[in-house]
Amino acid sequence: MTYCFYICVCLCLVIFQTTIIPHISLFNNFYDLLIPFISYLGFFRSARESILFILILGLLMDNLSGGPFGLYITTYFWLFIIVKLVVKYVHIRDNILLLFIVAAGVLMENIIFIASVFMSDPDSQFFTITIRTVIFQILWAGCTGLFFVTFFNHIHKKLEKWFNEIIAEKTKII
Amino acid sequence: MVMIVCAVALIVVNIIILSVNSSRYSSYGSGRIAIFFISPFQKTVTQSVQFFKNIWAQYFFLVSVAKENDNLKKAINHAIDKNNKYREVEISNFRLRNLLNFRKTMTNQVLVAEVIGRDPSPWFKTIIIDKGKSDGVEKGLPVVVPEGIAGQIIDISYNYSKVLLIIDQNSAADALVQRTRARGLIEGQSDGRCLFKYVLRKHDIKVGDTVVSSGLDGVFPKGLRIGDVSEIIKFNSGIFQEVTVKPYIDFEKLEEVLVVLNPPKHDFVSEQ
Repeated sequence: MTYCFYICVCLCLVIFQTTIIPHISLFNNFYDLLIPFISYLGFFRSARESILFILILGLLMDNLSGGPFGLYITTYFWLFIIVKLVVKYVHIRDNILLLFIVAAGVLMENIIFIASVFMSDPDSQFFTITIRTVIFQILWAGCTGLFFVTFFNHIHKKLEKWFNEIIAEKTKII
Repeated sequence: MVMIVCAVALIVVNIIILSVNSSRYSSYGSGRIAIFFISPFQKTVTQSVQFFKNIWAQYFFLVSVAKENDNLKKAINHAIDKNNKYREVEISNFRLRNLLNFRKTMTNQVLVAEVIGRDPSPWFKTIIIDKGKSDGVEKGLPVVVPEGIAGQIIDISYNYSKVLLIIDQNSAADALVQRTRARGLIEGQSDGRCLFKYVLRKHDIKVGDTVVSSGLDGVFPKGLRIGDVSEIIKFNSGIFQEVTVKPYIDFEKLEEVLVVLNPPKHDFVSEQ
Protein backbone atom coordinates (compact mmCIF):
# COMPACT_ATOMS: atom_id res chain seq x y z
CA MET A 1 0.00 0.00 0.00
CA THR A 2 2.83 2.35 0.95
CA TYR A 3 4.60 1.77 -2.32
CA CYS A 4 1.35 2.27 -4.25
CA PHE A 5 0.96 5.60 -2.49
CA TYR A 6 4.55 6.55 -3.30
CA ILE A 7 4.13 5.62 -6.96
CA CYS A 8 0.85 7.53 -7.31
CA VAL A 9 2.18 10.66 -5.61
CA CYS A 10 5.41 10.65 -7.60
CA LEU A 11 3.63 10.10 -10.92
CA CYS A 12 1.27 12.97 -10.18
CA LEU A 13 4.16 15.23 -9.16
CA VAL A 14 6.32 14.37 -12.18
CA ILE A 15 3.47 14.80 -14.65
CA PHE A 16 2.37 18.03 -13.00
CA GLN A 17 5.92 19.31 -13.07
CA THR A 18 6.63 18.47 -16.71
CA THR A 19 3.29 19.28 -18.32
CA ILE A 20 1.29 21.80 -16.30
CA ILE A 21 3.85 23.95 -14.51
CA PRO A 22 5.71 25.00 -17.71
CA HIS A 23 2.47 26.50 -19.01
CA ILE A 24 1.90 28.71 -15.96
CA SER A 25 4.09 31.78 -16.11
CA LEU A 26 3.73 32.34 -12.35
CA PHE A 27 5.58 29.08 -11.77
CA ASN A 28 8.41 29.81 -14.20
CA ASN A 29 10.95 29.44 -11.43
CA PHE A 30 9.20 26.76 -9.43
CA TYR A 31 11.33 24.23 -7.63
CA ASP A 32 11.50 20.46 -8.08
CA LEU A 33 8.33 19.15 -6.43
CA LEU A 34 10.00 15.87 -5.57
CA ILE A 35 12.27 17.62 -3.06
CA PRO A 36 9.45 17.96 -0.48
CA PHE A 37 8.60 14.33 -1.12
CA ILE A 38 12.17 13.18 -0.51
CA SER A 39 12.25 15.40 2.59
CA TYR A 40 9.04 13.75 3.76
CA LEU A 41 10.52 10.29 3.28
CA GLY A 42 13.69 11.27 5.13
CA PHE A 43 11.78 12.96 7.91
CA PHE A 44 8.98 10.51 8.56
CA ARG A 45 9.78 7.18 6.94
CA SER A 46 12.43 4.52 7.49
CA ALA A 47 15.54 4.26 5.31
CA ARG A 48 14.87 0.61 4.53
CA GLU A 49 11.44 1.46 3.16
CA SER A 50 12.47 4.54 1.17
CA ILE A 51 15.98 4.14 -0.20
CA LEU A 52 15.13 1.86 -3.13
CA PHE A 53 12.22 4.03 -4.10
CA ILE A 54 14.38 7.14 -4.00
CA LEU A 55 16.92 5.55 -6.33
CA ILE A 56 14.17 4.53 -8.76
CA LEU A 57 12.70 8.00 -8.60
CA GLY A 58 16.12 9.53 -9.33
CA LEU A 59 16.50 7.16 -12.25
CA LEU A 60 13.11 8.17 -13.64
CA MET A 61 13.90 11.87 -13.38
CA ASP A 62 17.33 11.38 -14.92
CA ASN A 63 15.65 9.73 -17.88
CA LEU A 64 13.17 12.54 -18.29
CA SER A 65 15.71 15.33 -17.94
CA GLY A 66 18.31 16.44 -20.42
CA GLY A 67 20.97 16.78 -17.75
CA PRO A 68 23.92 14.43 -17.22
CA PHE A 69 22.73 10.98 -16.18
CA GLY A 70 22.88 10.38 -12.43
CA LEU A 71 22.30 13.96 -11.41
CA TYR A 72 18.87 13.37 -9.91
CA ILE A 73 19.89 10.06 -8.32
CA THR A 74 22.83 11.83 -6.66
CA THR A 75 20.71 14.74 -5.50
CA TYR A 76 17.86 12.68 -4.11
CA PHE A 77 20.13 10.13 -2.47
CA TRP A 78 22.26 12.71 -0.66
CA LEU A 79 19.29 14.81 0.26
CA PHE A 80 17.68 11.77 1.85
CA ILE A 81 20.89 10.89 3.75
CA ILE A 82 21.26 14.49 4.99
CA VAL A 83 17.65 14.64 6.14
CA LYS A 84 18.09 11.33 7.97
CA LEU A 85 21.24 12.64 9.69
CA VAL A 86 19.52 15.88 10.64
CA VAL A 87 16.58 13.95 12.12
CA LYS A 88 18.98 11.65 13.98
CA TYR A 89 21.15 14.34 15.52
CA VAL A 90 18.91 17.37 15.86
CA HIS A 91 16.11 15.55 17.71
CA ILE A 92 13.61 18.22 16.80
CA ARG A 93 10.64 17.50 14.62
CA ASP A 94 8.96 20.80 14.16
CA ASN A 95 7.66 22.66 11.14
CA ILE A 96 10.45 25.24 11.03
CA LEU A 97 13.05 22.50 10.71
CA LEU A 98 10.96 20.89 7.99
CA LEU A 99 10.66 24.16 6.11
CA PHE A 100 14.39 24.72 6.44
CA ILE A 101 15.12 21.20 5.15
CA VAL A 102 12.96 21.67 2.03
CA ALA A 103 14.54 25.05 1.25
CA ALA A 104 18.04 23.64 1.88
CA GLY A 105 17.20 20.65 -0.33
CA VAL A 106 16.20 22.98 -3.18
CA LEU A 107 19.42 24.95 -2.72
CA MET A 108 21.45 21.74 -2.68
CA GLU A 109 19.82 20.49 -5.87
CA ASN A 110 20.51 23.78 -7.62
CA ILE A 111 24.15 23.79 -6.50
CA ILE A 112 24.63 20.25 -7.81
CA PHE A 113 22.94 21.12 -11.12
CA ILE A 114 24.90 24.35 -11.61
CA ALA A 115 28.12 22.54 -10.72
CA SER A 116 27.35 19.87 -13.31
CA VAL A 117 26.69 22.54 -15.95
CA PHE A 118 30.02 24.20 -15.19
CA MET A 119 31.81 20.87 -15.10
CA SER A 120 30.52 19.92 -18.54
CA ASP A 121 31.34 23.34 -19.97
CA PRO A 122 33.84 25.38 -17.92
CA ASP A 123 33.44 28.31 -20.33
CA SER A 124 29.76 28.73 -19.62
CA GLN A 125 28.75 32.08 -18.22
CA PHE A 126 27.13 32.72 -14.87
CA PHE A 127 24.13 34.95 -15.45
CA THR A 128 22.10 37.00 -13.03
CA ILE A 129 19.15 34.96 -14.25
CA THR A 130 20.82 31.92 -12.66
CA ILE A 131 20.95 33.58 -9.24
CA ARG A 132 17.42 34.87 -9.67
CA THR A 133 16.16 31.38 -10.53
CA VAL A 134 17.82 29.90 -7.44
CA ILE A 135 16.48 32.64 -5.15
CA PHE A 136 12.96 32.30 -6.53
CA GLN A 137 13.07 28.53 -6.15
CA ILE A 138 14.17 28.81 -2.52
CA LEU A 139 11.47 31.39 -1.83
CA TRP A 140 8.85 29.15 -3.41
CA ALA A 141 10.15 26.23 -1.37
CA GLY A 142 10.00 28.35 1.78
CA CYS A 143 6.41 29.34 1.03
CA THR A 144 4.97 26.03 -0.12
CA GLY A 145 7.41 23.26 0.90
CA LEU A 146 5.97 22.77 4.36
CA PHE A 147 2.47 22.51 2.94
CA PHE A 148 3.50 19.72 0.58
CA VAL A 149 5.34 17.72 3.29
CA THR A 150 2.43 18.07 5.71
CA PHE A 151 0.02 17.09 2.95
CA PHE A 152 2.00 13.93 2.09
CA ASN A 153 2.21 12.98 5.75
CA HIS A 154 -1.48 13.57 6.35
CA ILE A 155 -2.62 11.63 3.29
CA HIS A 156 -0.26 8.76 3.98
CA LYS A 157 -1.44 8.46 7.59
CA LYS A 158 -5.09 8.53 6.50
CA LEU A 159 -4.46 5.85 3.89
CA GLU A 160 -2.57 3.66 6.34
CA LYS A 161 -5.36 3.99 8.89
CA TRP A 162 -7.99 3.17 6.29
CA PHE A 163 -6.00 0.21 5.01
CA ASN A 164 -5.43 -1.14 8.54
CA GLU A 165 -9.15 -0.85 9.27
CA ILE A 166 -10.00 -2.83 6.15
CA ILE A 167 -7.49 -5.54 7.09
CA ALA A 168 -8.81 -5.66 10.65
CA GLU A 169 -12.39 -6.04 9.38
CA LYS A 170 -11.40 -8.81 7.02
CA THR A 171 -9.52 -10.59 9.82
CA LYS A 172 -12.62 -10.37 12.05
CA ILE A 173 -14.81 -11.86 9.32
CA ILE A 174 -12.40 -14.75 8.86
CA MET B 1 -99.37 58.14 10.85
CA VAL B 2 -97.46 61.32 11.60
CA MET B 3 -94.22 59.29 11.49
CA ILE B 4 -95.04 58.04 8.03
CA VAL B 5 -95.84 61.48 6.76
CA CYS B 6 -92.58 62.83 8.25
CA ALA B 7 -90.58 60.02 6.66
CA VAL B 8 -92.16 60.57 3.27
CA ALA B 9 -91.53 64.31 3.57
CA LEU B 10 -87.92 63.65 4.50
CA ILE B 11 -87.44 61.38 1.51
CA VAL B 12 -88.99 63.94 -0.79
CA VAL B 13 -86.80 66.73 0.60
CA ASN B 14 -83.77 64.49 0.29
CA ILE B 15 -84.55 63.67 -3.31
CA ILE B 16 -85.05 67.37 -4.07
CA ILE B 17 -81.69 68.27 -2.48
CA LEU B 18 -79.96 65.46 -4.34
CA SER B 19 -81.46 66.47 -7.60
CA VAL B 20 -80.47 70.07 -7.03
CA ASN B 21 -76.92 69.12 -5.97
CA SER B 22 -76.45 66.67 -8.78
CA SER B 23 -76.54 69.52 -11.25
CA ARG B 24 -73.44 71.27 -9.63
CA TYR B 25 -70.80 70.20 -7.12
CA SER B 26 -70.62 72.00 -3.82
CA SER B 27 -69.12 70.77 -0.52
CA TYR B 28 -69.85 73.95 1.38
CA GLY B 29 -66.32 74.12 2.92
CA SER B 30 -66.60 70.87 4.82
CA GLY B 31 -64.80 68.98 2.07
CA ARG B 32 -61.67 71.01 2.58
CA ILE B 33 -61.66 70.22 6.29
CA ALA B 34 -62.19 66.53 5.67
CA ILE B 35 -59.42 66.45 3.11
CA PHE B 36 -57.14 68.39 5.41
CA PHE B 37 -57.51 65.88 8.20
CA ILE B 38 -57.93 62.66 6.32
CA SER B 39 -55.61 63.01 3.36
CA PRO B 40 -52.32 62.77 5.28
CA PHE B 41 -53.49 59.47 6.73
CA GLN B 42 -54.70 58.35 3.38
CA LYS B 43 -51.41 59.31 1.88
CA THR B 44 -49.44 57.48 4.54
CA VAL B 45 -51.54 54.38 4.33
CA THR B 46 -51.56 54.41 0.56
CA GLN B 47 -47.81 54.87 0.45
CA SER B 48 -47.30 52.08 2.95
CA VAL B 49 -49.55 49.79 0.99
CA GLN B 50 -47.76 50.77 -2.18
CA PHE B 51 -44.41 50.20 -0.46
CA PHE B 52 -45.32 46.70 0.67
CA LYS B 53 -46.94 46.02 -2.66
CA ASN B 54 -43.74 47.10 -4.38
CA ILE B 55 -41.60 44.97 -2.07
CA TRP B 56 -43.75 42.00 -2.79
CA ALA B 57 -43.73 42.68 -6.50
CA GLN B 58 -39.98 43.47 -6.49
CA TYR B 59 -39.23 40.35 -4.52
CA PHE B 60 -40.98 38.12 -6.99
CA PHE B 61 -39.50 40.18 -9.78
CA LEU B 62 -36.03 39.75 -8.26
CA VAL B 63 -36.51 36.05 -7.86
CA SER B 64 -37.36 35.76 -11.52
CA VAL B 65 -34.55 38.17 -12.39
CA ALA B 66 -32.13 36.15 -10.30
CA LYS B 67 -33.18 33.02 -12.11
CA GLU B 68 -32.87 34.78 -15.42
CA ASN B 69 -29.48 36.14 -14.36
CA ASP B 70 -28.31 32.65 -13.47
CA ASN B 71 -29.43 31.36 -16.82
CA LEU B 72 -27.79 34.26 -18.63
CA LYS B 73 -24.56 33.73 -16.69
CA LYS B 74 -24.59 30.08 -17.63
CA ALA B 75 -25.24 31.03 -21.24
CA ILE B 76 -22.39 33.57 -21.17
CA ASN B 77 -20.01 31.05 -19.63
CA HIS B 78 -21.04 28.54 -22.23
CA ALA B 79 -20.53 31.11 -24.98
CA ILE B 80 -17.13 32.13 -23.56
CA ASP B 81 -16.11 28.50 -23.37
CA LYS B 82 -17.27 27.92 -26.92
CA ASN B 83 -15.56 31.07 -28.09
CA ASN B 84 -12.36 30.02 -26.38
CA LYS B 85 -12.54 26.63 -28.07
CA TYR B 86 -13.07 28.28 -31.47
CA ARG B 87 -10.22 30.65 -30.79
CA GLU B 88 -7.98 27.74 -29.80
CA VAL B 89 -8.99 25.90 -32.97
CA GLU B 90 -8.32 29.03 -35.00
CA ILE B 91 -4.85 29.50 -33.47
CA SER B 92 -4.14 25.80 -33.84
CA ASN B 93 -5.31 25.95 -37.46
CA PHE B 94 -3.03 28.91 -38.15
CA ARG B 95 -0.08 27.14 -36.52
CA LEU B 96 -0.68 23.89 -38.36
CA ARG B 97 -1.14 25.70 -41.69
CA ASN B 98 2.14 27.43 -41.04
CA LEU B 99 3.73 24.09 -40.29
CA LEU B 100 2.17 22.56 -43.40
CA ASN B 101 3.42 25.39 -45.60
CA PHE B 102 6.87 24.98 -44.14
CA ARG B 103 6.64 21.23 -44.69
CA LYS B 104 5.86 21.83 -48.38
CA THR B 105 8.98 23.95 -48.73
CA MET B 106 11.16 21.22 -47.30
CA THR B 107 12.62 18.68 -49.65
CA ASN B 108 13.27 16.25 -46.83
CA GLN B 109 10.79 13.78 -45.46
CA VAL B 110 9.38 15.19 -42.23
CA LEU B 111 7.12 13.97 -39.45
CA VAL B 112 4.87 16.24 -37.41
CA ALA B 113 5.09 15.69 -33.65
CA GLU B 114 3.41 17.26 -30.68
CA VAL B 115 5.26 18.47 -27.61
CA ILE B 116 3.85 16.57 -24.63
CA GLY B 117 6.32 17.35 -21.85
CA ARG B 118 9.20 19.51 -20.80
CA ASP B 119 12.35 19.05 -18.79
CA PRO B 120 11.68 18.82 -15.04
CA SER B 121 14.68 21.03 -14.35
CA PRO B 122 15.02 24.66 -15.43
CA TRP B 123 18.75 24.12 -15.97
CA PHE B 124 18.37 21.75 -18.92
CA LYS B 125 16.34 22.38 -22.04
CA THR B 126 14.68 19.28 -23.41
CA ILE B 127 11.19 18.40 -24.55
CA ILE B 128 9.33 15.14 -24.98
CA ILE B 129 7.46 14.59 -28.27
CA ASP B 130 4.76 12.06 -29.09
CA LYS B 131 6.63 10.28 -31.89
CA GLY B 132 9.11 7.49 -31.39
CA LYS B 133 10.73 4.45 -32.88
CA SER B 134 7.40 3.15 -34.21
CA ASP B 135 7.06 6.30 -36.34
CA GLY B 136 10.53 6.00 -37.79
CA VAL B 137 12.26 8.42 -35.44
CA GLU B 138 15.91 7.73 -34.76
CA LYS B 139 18.46 9.10 -32.35
CA GLY B 140 20.29 12.11 -33.77
CA LEU B 141 17.57 13.28 -36.17
CA PRO B 142 17.10 17.05 -36.43
CA VAL B 143 13.93 18.70 -35.19
CA VAL B 144 12.76 21.90 -36.87
CA VAL B 145 9.87 24.36 -36.91
CA PRO B 146 8.94 27.09 -39.43
CA GLU B 147 10.92 29.64 -37.40
CA GLY B 148 14.09 27.54 -37.63
CA ILE B 149 16.07 24.81 -35.92
CA ALA B 150 14.57 23.49 -32.68
CA GLY B 151 16.93 20.73 -31.62
CA GLN B 152 17.97 17.14 -32.02
CA ILE B 153 16.58 13.77 -30.91
CA ILE B 154 18.75 12.43 -28.09
CA ASP B 155 16.67 9.60 -26.74
CA ILE B 156 13.89 7.45 -28.14
CA SER B 157 11.35 5.00 -26.86
CA TYR B 158 8.78 3.07 -28.89
CA ASN B 159 6.24 5.90 -29.03
CA TYR B 160 8.03 8.94 -27.62
CA SER B 161 11.32 10.79 -28.02
CA LYS B 162 13.38 13.30 -26.10
CA VAL B 163 14.62 16.37 -27.97
CA LEU B 164 17.62 18.39 -26.86
CA LEU B 165 16.81 22.00 -27.73
CA ILE B 166 19.46 24.23 -29.29
CA ILE B 167 19.32 26.53 -26.26
CA ASP B 168 20.60 23.74 -23.98
CA GLN B 169 24.21 24.11 -22.93
CA ASN B 170 25.04 20.65 -24.24
CA SER B 171 23.71 21.45 -27.70
CA ALA B 172 25.84 22.54 -30.65
CA ALA B 173 25.22 23.15 -34.34
CA ASP B 174 27.43 24.31 -37.17
CA ALA B 175 26.18 27.65 -38.46
CA LEU B 176 27.02 30.61 -40.61
CA VAL B 177 26.05 34.24 -40.92
CA GLN B 178 23.72 34.54 -43.90
CA ARG B 179 25.12 37.89 -45.12
CA THR B 180 28.86 37.31 -44.82
CA ARG B 181 29.00 33.48 -44.69
CA ALA B 182 31.17 33.66 -41.55
CA ARG B 183 31.19 30.23 -39.94
CA GLY B 184 31.02 29.22 -36.31
CA LEU B 185 29.42 26.92 -33.80
CA ILE B 186 26.08 27.67 -32.17
CA GLU B 187 25.93 26.60 -28.52
CA GLY B 188 23.12 27.04 -26.02
CA GLN B 189 23.32 29.20 -22.92
CA SER B 190 21.44 29.12 -19.65
CA ASP B 191 19.69 32.44 -20.36
CA GLY B 192 17.81 31.05 -23.36
CA ARG B 193 20.11 32.61 -25.96
CA CYS B 194 22.89 31.00 -28.00
CA LEU B 195 26.57 31.68 -28.27
CA PHE B 196 28.05 31.78 -31.77
CA LYS B 197 31.53 30.47 -31.03
CA TYR B 198 34.76 30.28 -32.98
CA VAL B 199 33.90 33.10 -35.37
CA LEU B 200 37.09 34.71 -36.61
CA ARG B 201 37.68 38.34 -35.66
CA LYS B 202 38.27 39.33 -39.25
CA HIS B 203 34.70 38.49 -40.26
CA ASP B 204 32.29 41.38 -40.54
CA ILE B 205 29.27 40.66 -38.37
CA LYS B 206 26.62 43.20 -37.39
CA VAL B 207 23.85 43.14 -34.81
CA GLY B 208 20.70 41.93 -36.56
CA ASP B 209 22.48 39.60 -38.99
CA THR B 210 20.70 36.31 -39.55
CA VAL B 211 22.46 33.12 -38.53
CA VAL B 212 21.52 29.96 -40.45
CA SER B 213 22.57 26.33 -40.27
CA SER B 214 25.53 25.46 -42.46
CA GLY B 215 24.62 21.81 -42.87
CA LEU B 216 28.23 20.86 -42.25
CA ASP B 217 27.52 19.20 -38.91
CA GLY B 218 25.74 16.40 -40.73
CA VAL B 219 22.69 16.80 -38.55
CA PHE B 220 20.72 19.90 -39.53
CA PRO B 221 19.74 20.66 -43.14
CA LYS B 222 21.55 23.65 -44.64
CA GLY B 223 19.99 27.10 -44.69
CA LEU B 224 17.54 26.77 -41.83
CA ARG B 225 17.25 29.89 -39.72
CA ILE B 226 18.55 29.84 -36.15
CA GLY B 227 18.37 33.40 -34.89
CA ASP B 228 19.72 36.88 -35.28
CA VAL B 229 22.89 38.39 -33.83
CA SER B 230 22.03 40.33 -30.69
CA GLU B 231 25.48 41.18 -29.30
CA ILE B 232 29.07 41.20 -30.52
CA ILE B 233 32.13 41.42 -28.29
CA LYS B 234 35.54 41.81 -29.88
CA PHE B 235 38.31 41.30 -27.35
CA ASN B 236 41.64 43.09 -27.70
CA SER B 237 43.43 39.79 -27.99
CA GLY B 238 42.44 36.44 -29.44
CA ILE B 239 41.52 35.31 -32.90
CA PHE B 240 37.80 34.86 -32.25
CA GLN B 241 34.99 37.25 -31.49
CA GLU B 242 32.15 36.52 -29.09
CA VAL B 243 28.76 36.66 -30.76
CA THR B 244 25.46 36.17 -29.00
CA VAL B 245 22.49 34.97 -31.03
CA LYS B 246 18.85 35.34 -30.08
CA PRO B 247 16.90 32.34 -31.44
CA TYR B 248 13.82 33.02 -33.58
CA ILE B 249 11.92 30.28 -31.84
CA ASP B 250 10.05 31.03 -28.65
CA PHE B 251 10.86 27.74 -26.92
CA GLU B 252 8.36 28.43 -24.14
CA LYS B 253 5.55 28.33 -26.69
CA LEU B 254 6.70 25.35 -28.71
CA GLU B 255 3.71 23.05 -29.32
CA GLU B 256 4.32 21.21 -32.59
CA VAL B 257 7.60 20.34 -34.25
CA LEU B 258 8.80 18.60 -37.41
CA VAL B 259 11.25 15.74 -37.20
CA VAL B 260 13.39 15.50 -40.34
CA LEU B 261 13.46 11.79 -41.08
CA ASN B 262 16.06 11.82 -43.84
CA PRO B 263 18.55 14.59 -43.11
CA PRO B 264 21.23 15.17 -45.76
CA LYS B 265 24.14 12.94 -44.88
CA HIS B 266 27.60 14.14 -45.81
CA ASP B 267 29.71 11.46 -47.36
CA PHE B 268 33.00 12.78 -46.04
CA VAL B 269 34.97 9.79 -47.30
CA SER B 270 33.92 10.23 -50.92
CA GLU B 271 34.36 14.01 -50.65
CA GLN B 272 37.97 13.50 -49.66
